[in-house]
Amino acid sequence: MSASAKRPEIVVDGFPRSRPRWAELASSGDHKDIGRIMIAGALGFLFVALVELLLMRLQLAVPENTFLSPETFNRMLSLYGTTAIFLFALPLAFGLFYYLAPLQIGARGTALPRLGQLGLWLWVAAATVLYAGFLFTPSEAGINPLAPLSGLAFLSSNGVDAWAAATGLATLGFILLAIDLTTTLRRMRAPGMAWRRLPVFAWATAIGSWLMLVIGPVLLAAITMLLIDRNFDGIFFADGSGGAPLLWQHLSWIFFTGAYMLVMIAAFGAICEIVPSLVGRPLEGRATVIGSLIAIAVIGTLAWIQNMFTAPIGIGWMYFAMTMALALIVPFGLIAYNLITTIAGGAVRMRAPLLFAAGAVSAISVGLAAEISHSMVGLAWKLKNTTDATGATHFALVGGAVFGGFAALHYWFPKMTGRTMGESLARISFWTMVLGAALAFVPLLFSGTYEGEVIDAYKFFGDSGMSAYNLIASIGALVLAAGIVMTLVNAILSREGGPEAGHDPWGGDSLEWFALSPPEPHNFDVLPDVRSEHPMRDIRAAIAHRTARKPERPAPESQPVA
Amino acid sequence: MEPHSPGTDQIQTLFGIGFVAFAIVAVVVNGALIYTLRRRRTGRGAQPADTEPRTGRPQLRVGAALGVFAAAILVLSLVFTEKAREAPATGPAGLQAKGSAPLTIIATGQQWLWRYEYPNGAFSYYKLVVPVDTEVELELGSTDVIHTWNVPSLAGKRDAVPGKVHEVSFRADEEGSYTGRAATLSGAAYAAMGTEVEAVSPEEYESYVKQLDADIQAAQDEVVSQIESGETP
Repeated sequence: MSASAKRPEIVVDGFPRSRPRWAELASSGDHKDIGRIMIAGALGFLFVALVELLLMRLQLAVPENTFLSPETFNRMLSLYGTTAIFLFALPLAFGLFYYLAPLQIGARGTALPRLGQLGLWLWVAAATVLYAGFLFTPSEAGINPLAPLSGLAFLSSNGVDAWAAATGLATLGFILLAIDLTTTLRRMRAPGMAWRRLPVFAWATAIGSWLMLVIGPVLLAAITMLLIDRNFDGIFFADGSGGAPLLWQHLSWIFFTGAYMLVMIAAFGAICEIVPSLVGRPLEGRATVIGSLIAIAVIGTLAWIQNMFTAPIGIGWMYFAMTMALALIVPFGLIAYNLITTIAGGAVRMRAPLLFAAGAVSAISVGLAAEISHSMVGLAWKLKNTTDATGATHFALVGGAVFGGFAALHYWFPKMTGRTMGESLARISFWTMVLGAALAFVPLLFSGTYEGEVIDAYKFFGDSGMSAYNLIASIGALVLAAGIVMTLVNAILSREGGPEAGHDPWGGDSLEWFALSPPEPHNFDVLPDVRSEHPMRDIRAAIAHRTARKPERPAPESQPVA
Repeated sequence: MEPHSPGTDQIQTLFGIGFVAFAIVAVVVNGALIYTLRRRRTGRGAQPADTEPRTGRPQLRVGAALGVFAAAILVLSLVFTEKAREAPATGPAGLQAKGSAPLTIIATGQQWLWRYEYPNGAFSYYKLVVPVDTEVELELGSTDVIHTWNVPSLAGKRDAVPGKVHEVSFRADEEGSYTGRAATLSGAAYAAMGTEVEAVSPEEYESYVKQLDADIQAAQDEVVSQIESGETP
């Protein structure tokens, strides 16, 4: 970086005033800072959600328990679901998207960094509103506050208003991040980075962001109507005056079903990066996998009526939703097939990211297999709103967001911090989580199927045959929480104390491994000309060619090419 | 949870189909995943990784096979859901209503009770008494929030939504008592909101509703007479 003698010399008056680190971070438009804050915040809220889950499981450990009052239980239920979805699963997905996608496409930043920054801080505001609500009265209307229970006549405290404001702010934040990401992916790809060469996770970013742009405004509309109903004598969800309670269900389930699919898309996007790296070969059926992710976004969201099979709506609509939901077997099955055949031709290095990725595929497969029963209209009349639904959804979403999220965390932690997460603690954490998830959710499947235990209830009765199932589920939740906390502790300890990772610890194929660990603010000094969907493999081959040595995996130094 | 109505028999068949589909998916995916991970593990004389994706086009065949699997589940669910929806005709041991019309009972959900109104105007809370082997049609409604009527032995779940009438019909095949719990969060006492359906012989049913009507009438007369004589404010 030496200036030529012909250039005028530019003199600055001293160095710019240095600001405290937190102020730098808080005002940063760097996608890596925004992504890191969001990922760290999401993991913090995972811990909060766990505390709420454990309080509810403690209440349900024994029949007719009086540990929590019904009101407190309903508040915990509402907070738990909202925290798990809006403050953990979705922000973790968007934090990873926002950190990684620009690096993967060889961009030096995002297209609209201030929009991304606003998205982050709207999300922080959402979390503040939701938990400021905790200081007075949180919502008691459950994870999805169905009209008319969410109306002023039945819940007159401001908890539902706080819920609406919080989810609205968070959704608006995700929408802004999605706008920035779709623009960045469209406009800022490195030379040669055609759409067909985009890494699968960058494709997942594009699909997830477009999905949020479709479903986010639907929830915002519903929340606006809810706030008008509650505060300005609206009649959107009131029966008999031109409104309809079912309107809320349609709008909210479009969002929640889409969000479920978004978590699946983000998880499989990450898994499809992790598995090829750790088995040392490219992904089988790349185009099929990307097409399947698009199909999941479209078909999955169209199945929203699957959540309304007991509502008074026409049977034709239910058959439509059933067709869409069962059609999902094809894209999910194709992704699983391609992941497994990738492993079948590879050399498996069983490190923590692959372990968690395999755990995610396993848990998601169990959850979605159980969801098949909920897609069958007649069978849903038996199983809907039983703990069988709780168990199935938790297998899929804990598999996607927690196991999949932890796989991504272990895989990209070296890129974000320059250090690797402790391997032995990761293994202990993983097996504890596997045991905990099985103990916590399998008994719920049984209790819902064979005893018909209903969801969201603050107590059950001793003569119902549910006692053993619930006790095991409560112990399992405790074990699962212990396993999750181990990984959170591992991340905190490894941030500064983990072994140094180098720039490309896994031998990855995409461009984020071309940057330093952690990357410079401008991401890349120089950019390679992308010639295939495996830019890092091309670079390693070029190095090998020039130095006439055999290519090593992982590459020792991946800077000076281009 | 034993099925005791023609509709729930069909739902039980669907449960078997759903369970087989669950088992196939869970076992195949997890089995193949664990098998390949163990077989290709480095260190135990493992083969080196293939560097290129396989040639040939298996994707279409796998996709088609998955499509056939999904279509089979779809067709089976359609067939048995349609069967479960069929109104069950009153049997020989049942109450022979006028014509072939079902015995219609208005069931109203409210926080946190079910109110049942019989054709003769008599009504009861919590407990519904029906004649055995008779087609009963409930007209579900709600006066406040959404409640889900749920007696798993007799019928599938149905939501009672304010402003709507939602029908559900069943035919209890055996005398006895069938219980269930409401299945949509409806507020503080939701967990305690249950109901009981008692199936009795047609004669017992007739005398029960007559007695119920007489009791209600007597109670109302008593109140009216007390008001008229100035005893109650």
